[in-house]
Amino acid sequence: MDKTQNTGKSTKRLATARELQKIVAEFYLEGHEAKKAGKPIGWMPPMNGLIEIFYAMDLQPVFPENWSPVCAAFGLIHKNYMTAESMGFSPDLCGYLRNCVGYINGMMGEEGVPLNGLPEPDMIFVPGAGCVPAMKNFQYIAKRFPEAKVFNADLPQVPIENIQRYHIDYALSEINRIIDFLTETTGRKMDYDRLAEVVRLSDQSCALWDEITSYRRCIPTPISAAEVGLMFVMVTRQGTQLAVDYLTKVRDEVKQCAEQKTGIVAEEKVRLFWDNIPLWYNLGLFNYFERYGGVVVAETYSAAWSIRLDTSNPLEALAMKSLQSYPMVSCVSMQRRKDMVLRACRDYHIDGVILHSNKSCLPITLGQMDIKRALQEELGVPSVVIEADHMDPANFSMSQFEDRAGSFMEMLLQRKGRS
Amino acid sequence: MVGMSINLSAFRNAVSEREKRLTRHAGKQKVFGWFCTYTPIELIHAAGFLPVRIYGGMTTVEKAGNLVPNFVCPYMRTSLERALRGEYKYLSGVIQGYTCDISCGIMNIWAENTGLKMFHTVPLPYNTNESARDFYRHTLNELIDKLNAAGGKFDMAALGRSLDLYANIRKKLLRLHELRRQNIFAPPSRDFYTIMEAGFCMPPEEYLELLARLVTEVENLKANPSSGIPVLVSGSIVEQMWIFDLLEAAGGQVVADDLCNGYRFCQPADGSGANPIDRLIDRYMHRFPCPSRSTVQDRVPRVKELVEKSGAKGVIFLFQKFCTPHLADYPALSEALRDDGIPVLSIEMDESGNIEGQLKTRFGAFFEMING
Repeated sequence: MDKTQNTGKSTKRLATARELQKIVAEFYLEGHEAKKAGKPIGWMPPMNGLIEIFYAMDLQPVFPENWSPVCAAFGLIHKNYMTAESMGFSPDLCGYLRNCVGYINGMMGEEGVPLNGLPEPDMIFVPGAGCVPAMKNFQYIAKRFPEAKVFNADLPQVPIENIQRYHIDYALSEINRIIDFLTETTGRKMDYDRLAEVVRLSDQSCALWDEITSYRRCIPTPISAAEVGLMFVMVTRQGTQLAVDYLTKVRDEVKQCAEQKTGIVAEEKVRLFWDNIPLWYNLGLFNYFERYGGVVVAETYSAAWSIRLDTSNPLEALAMKSLQSYPMVSCVSMQRRKDMVLRACRDYHIDGVILHSNKSCLPITLGQMDIKRALQEELGVPSVVIEADHMDPANFSMSQFEDRAGSFMEMLLQRKGRS
Repeated sequence: MVGMSINLSAFRNAVSEREKRLTRHAGKQKVFGWFCTYTPIELIHAAGFLPVRIYGGMTTVEKAGNLVPNFVCPYMRTSLERALRGEYKYLSGVIQGYTCDISCGIMNIWAENTGLKMFHTVPLPYNTNESARDFYRHTLNELIDKLNAAGGKFDMAALGRSLDLYANIRKKLLRLHELRRQNIFAPPSRDFYTIMEAGFCMPPEEYLELLARLVTEVENLKANPSSGIPVLVSGSIVEQMWIFDLLEAAGGQVVADDLCNGYRFCQPADGSGANPIDRLIDRYMHRFPCPSRSTVQDRVPRVKELVEKSGAKGVIFLFQKFCTPHLADYPALSEALRDDGIPVLSIEMDESGNIEGQLKTRFGAFFEMING
């Protein structure tokens, strides 16, 4: 990592992680080929069951939100932010929103954009749930592509512990409305046997993801947050055999490393938890802790992508998925999120927690001080707040990070008698 | 200035003595706080409680700064600060319609840190179809159960009466907005929004009486030509009245607004339905749109219509700093207004108020530009 810059790539150690680049490229290539072949393309937010419906109906999903980390990795974000700012978007707005509106109103369609960018949408799913920036993002996408058919979706936003039958019924009615819309718009009918198979595959991916994650409880952990890019498969390929096959390979490798006690660093001295979204332009930050013998073994964000489904009732399974994923990691339920972090700290034998105070994501940032207090009072686990932004390097200072994180690591080492 | 002879002291006192009066009031009736105008206050009132809006205002943020980052809007930070200082001890709880991410999250921080007992968020639908209405009914029934569990005595007849009461209040307020547009009632904006604010912290029965008297008085006034440049102000909640003072001192005159402590609270006055619950749902589903609860596509024509109807020669956006819903709608909204030849100005307000000098210059330049 270049210590003078705010950006840097992570060092990946899994052999299977090297295949990921191919999977990413193929996903975007598939979108462009689908466009050429006349296969209907839908732009949608992730985490809500739409992906399974799309794969079951043989339609092409595109996730503009997921495109933002790709833009961060390719160094495209600055240009996209400039475009967004020239349109009047405040730099205080979420980086996903600014990057996406900047991209669709700027470099989209230009020659030389990595992976050829995104194929234009035939359908747009504007969410009525999740965070406000996500909703506004899709409203602007709909404005940019007036020829595309727009579906305004709705979903109850309730803490997971408060989900009741009527919430599920409303989510189900929205899923049925989406299927009707897709049938009417594309002329394709839902094959419910195929949907059952897709839901089964989706659940299998989640089971594999959970299994991979469970090996991180081992000391030393065989996999760190530096491999967070694996989540691409959970975001874009849930419900496919490809995801199951790939995650099986990852699981096998991780399992083997765990059995052989192959860790990330020569001597794992400190185990860390990362709260909030990673810095997509600087995943190398996860490697920073390694110089102190520290490894980030668990994080909040990846939990949202793995929700086990009741495969006996595919539609209801998708309804439950849609109701749970955003509230699981956001401030919709503070208690739930706090419980999740504390449980993870117990399960993964965490020595210290890094709370990323994320300017681009207040829903995950709010409540961190209450979590910090609970960590200290209930578990005696120290934590440190790092001020940054998951999408905008302008809101992150590497030198300030090093000051704060360095002192924190030294304190943790001293506590463990490992300094 | 037209309307200067009207005595507004009852409204001003309700606002300035809010804490003292509501603390006294809480001894005889439970008081519940709310942040957003999508909260079904009629239902709270029908259960026998007094719903009041939580205000933050200008204050130094100290305690809240230990709980939330500085990129939270001033309204949420200052109201949390006041709650942590114990200034909202008269509340029995907070009931909130789910609108922006931050008010939802902040309510959970209130729940963790203020010692108040009851907190409830109503998950509102975004759509208006029959399934959405059915879902809405369920969410309201859940709130009724919570209110009854908190000692309320809800019944449908009471809800009908509460709906009538708030509809009458909103009709009077809409009449004041109309008289302001017609330049018949043109008090300083500081006074206009104090009249609005009084309604957020008074028993509605008493407020309606005051309003009725006020409307009768101002209807007898005669129109005077405006001395200021007519503008519409748009944003969420504006608590810093000195901003209006600066706007008016620079030569502007607010003739209409798209604020949640203004027109958006009032429009429409009422809904219709086969029973009181459906009437309530109908009103809230047809609210003048807030960016948290609507698409920018829906909002643009509504704001443009308001500008046209009011004769505003410019639009001033007064943003709470870091307010995502309003900041995110701004590019589309400002573009549409400029396309219609309506100049726009955007101002971001923080809790420090250290922007006076900058504002004087910006307001001055804006009005000079409109005047050509």
